[in-house]
Amino acid sequence: MITKTVLIKDTTPGSTSGTKEFFDVFTAALRESKLADEIRLVRAADIGVYNHGIVLKILPDNITYANVQHHDIKRIIGVTLKHGNPIKDLLYQPRAYQLRLVLKNCGRIDPESIDDYIAHDGYRALSAALQAGPDTVIREITASGLRGRGGGGFPTGLKWSMTRSTPGNEKYMICNADEGDPGAYMDRSVLEGDPHAVIEGMLIAGFAIGASQGYFYIRAEYPLAIERVQKAIDQAHAYGLVGERIFGSDFSMDLEIRLGAGAFVCGEETALIASIEGKRGTPSPRPPYPSVKGLWGKPTCINNVETLANVPSIIRNGSAWFSRIGTENSKGTKVFAVTGKVRNSGLIEVPMGTTLRDIVFEIGGGTASGKRFKAVQTGGPSGGVIPEHLLDTPVDYDNLQKLGSIMGSGGMIVMDEDDCMVDIAKFYLKFCVDESCGKCAPCRIGGYQMLNLLENISRGNATLEDLERLRLIAKAMQKASLCGLGQTAANPVLSTLRYFEDEYREHILNRRCPSKKCTALLQFIIDRSRCKKCGLCARSCPEKAITGDKEHGYTIDTARCINCGMCFETCKFGAVERN
Amino acid sequence: MAALTADDLAAIASRIHDQNASWIRVGMSTCGIAAGAERVYAALEDELQRQGAGVQLKKCGCLGMCAAEPLVEVNIAGMPRVIYCRVDEACARDIVRGHVCGGKLLQDYIIDMQSEDAS
Amino acid sequence: MDQAALETARTIIEKWRPKKGNLIMILHDVQDAFGYIPPDIARYLARTLHIPLARIYEVLTFYHYFKLQPPGKYKISVCMGTACYLKGSPSLLQELKNILNVEEGQTTKDGMFYLESVRCLGCCGLSPALAVNETVHGTLTKSDVIDIVSQYAKEA
Repeated sequence: MITKTVLIKDTTPGSTSGTKEFFDVFTAALRESKLADEIRLVRAADIGVYNHGIVLKILPDNITYANVQHHDIKRIIGVTLKHGNPIKDLLYQPRAYQLRLVLKNCGRIDPESIDDYIAHDGYRALSAALQAGPDTVIREITASGLRGRGGGGFPTGLKWSMTRSTPGNEKYMICNADEGDPGAYMDRSVLEGDPHAVIEGMLIAGFAIGASQGYFYIRAEYPLAIERVQKAIDQAHAYGLVGERIFGSDFSMDLEIRLGAGAFVCGEETALIASIEGKRGTPSPRPPYPSVKGLWGKPTCINNVETLANVPSIIRNGSAWFSRIGTENSKGTKVFAVTGKVRNSGLIEVPMGTTLRDIVFEIGGGTASGKRFKAVQTGGPSGGVIPEHLLDTPVDYDNLQKLGSIMGSGGMIVMDEDDCMVDIAKFYLKFCVDESCGKCAPCRIGGYQMLNLLENISRGNATLEDLERLRLIAKAMQKASLCGLGQTAANPVLSTLRYFEDEYREHILNRRCPSKKCTALLQFIIDRSRCKKCGLCARSCPEKAITGDKEHGYTIDTARCINCGMCFETCKFGAVERN
Repeated sequence: MAALTADDLAAIASRIHDQNASWIRVGMSTCGIAAGAERVYAALEDELQRQGAGVQLKKCGCLGMCAAEPLVEVNIAGMPRVIYCRVDEACARDIVRGHVCGGKLLQDYIIDMQSEDAS
Repeated sequence: MDQAALETARTIIEKWRPKKGNLIMILHDVQDAFGYIPPDIARYLARTLHIPLARIYEVLTFYHYFKLQPPGKYKISVCMGTACYLKGSPSLLQELKNILNVEEGQTTKDGMFYLESVRCLGCCGLSPALAVNETVHGTLTKSDVIDIVSQYAKEA
């Protein structure tokens, strides 16, 4: 009869056989103590703790031991497994860094079943809101301190009350699910994993502002999210939770999906409205704000997916409950997509105020390669990089802004020493140049000119004055662009310049890319001693710049080489060197 | 059907909670599907039927550990609730034969997530 | 324009006619049906919806998602989101260009493969990734690319 389970994992960096060895020794010890039939030993793939040697987790006691040595096994068997007592000097208190509030149901309920959502407290908040009335709902959301999760951080309650107080009997509610930040997919996961929570949030918001029609504006590139939201709307319709006289009240609201079509600028409120109207998604000057003059000229409220997904639990549990989580000016939790060079790339949710270091190293497990961490990028093309020495900053709207980045929608990209900051700046700026709608000159021309300057730097054709030029154009774009895209497009350049100016100078002064990423500054040569004369490199070269044969080996003709790096990546023996 | 009333919510909730206490959930969001969750789901379904195991099999959204997909969470009465990661079809069948029917946890596939729920 | 195509377009228009601001949704449905926006259909939309043709093309050319050329049987979309970019998707794209002998936005001569780079597939946990039609292949290395291409070439 099995009474306890022990999970085992060696969390020493680089260890491959530690878990197995410990497991075997432990198994033998159990047999010796005649406990083999009572204790279940299991090797875990991941135990959620990193860099703490051998980690054990004992169930159902829920005791975790870290840095366990082979000679501790006897004590563990005698004290803990036989008598259920903890051993103090081995105890490790794993901190639950994550707090799942928005993602509470994701991965737990069947997103295609409205009954399953209802069984998890679903639509109770809507029912309560309808009874409490719009003013109470807005007061609760305002008191909770909820701020927009799409990036701007505008207080949600204030947005609702502005839209409510604008006179007019026709108002619109829009859910912004045009998640355009490359490297972020929080909204997709919520829509795919818990679509009814967003629908419930939409209905509560619509009730509060006095809307009778709501639109989901979803990226066309998210077919599964679209399918699940449509299914959820249909189910809610069948239950009378969407449509006429919801819950038998006087409140009626319809919901409809509109698709984005691959334009990043449509994340901007006024451009998004133009797109729903069936036009080119170009932004318009504000004011008038959408809360006054929005979709088809009517008062409109636009909230992001994650913002709306927060609403039902705030109404259910009360604003006081929500505002206890987080920091003074940023309440609640934030979902981040932690990706890039991190070990556990994925979606996480943490209370506001969690430090970047905890996110990257404790939850993310550090870099996947074990290489040196260099920076973490937040806010996508509108954000910036944060270097190692600032990792102890607690994450909230204001702190990230002070560091020259932004909270953004929740993309968090980890970079290691192989990533070149000039290249990163170029990547993001190119994105913004491609996505600029072209309506205003500062964004259209400024972005292009900055990109040219960066291009020159990465080719070694720049001077130090170019850095000043970059800063000057960036300032002009920030001050004079029409919408958020242009105003923030220079952020990735400015923040990499702020923290990694040395790297820029190295490119300019020494024509050297320290991360060996800017291929124009590299020279490729074949190391004869490591070359196995297989000829793969010659076949991969698009310019036929590699000559030779299987007998004599191969050489690169530097005059014809275009520094594309294909040979470097192709060689299986590391014989192509780049310097 | 007629529009729901607030009381109906409680009725639906209790109906769902009455269902089988033993269940298997498969993460079926875009990332899970891309990593092969559909094949894993089919293998689980097939093997559960072959073994005649009365366990509820459920498609769910994303648990967040995208790099470890496909993820399969298993809750069988009398055993610890665990999540298996990087599950393939063979492993899915082992889960049914070993864990569900044999009372054994699979070696080298369990992932333990330290997180807390806010209700 | 053949009768069946016309009929498809008519059904799409009728489905969306009662809705305000329906142009983009109509174009989405047309692209779903035809794989791209055929010029004949665009003209038909202009006539039927009483919208100047220039306005339709104004919208079509603004949004990256709409295609003016027929795509190949298999659309290969290489993800250029930040996570994929950092982990080597540019070399996947280069490899595909070499294998297929096309540039981005082009279709192979046999009409089999269309190659494009896209913003973000939203599968950052599986980076670098690419999608063939709607099937995502993740955690790729450059050498996986040829296998994927030949797998689809065989199926065709």
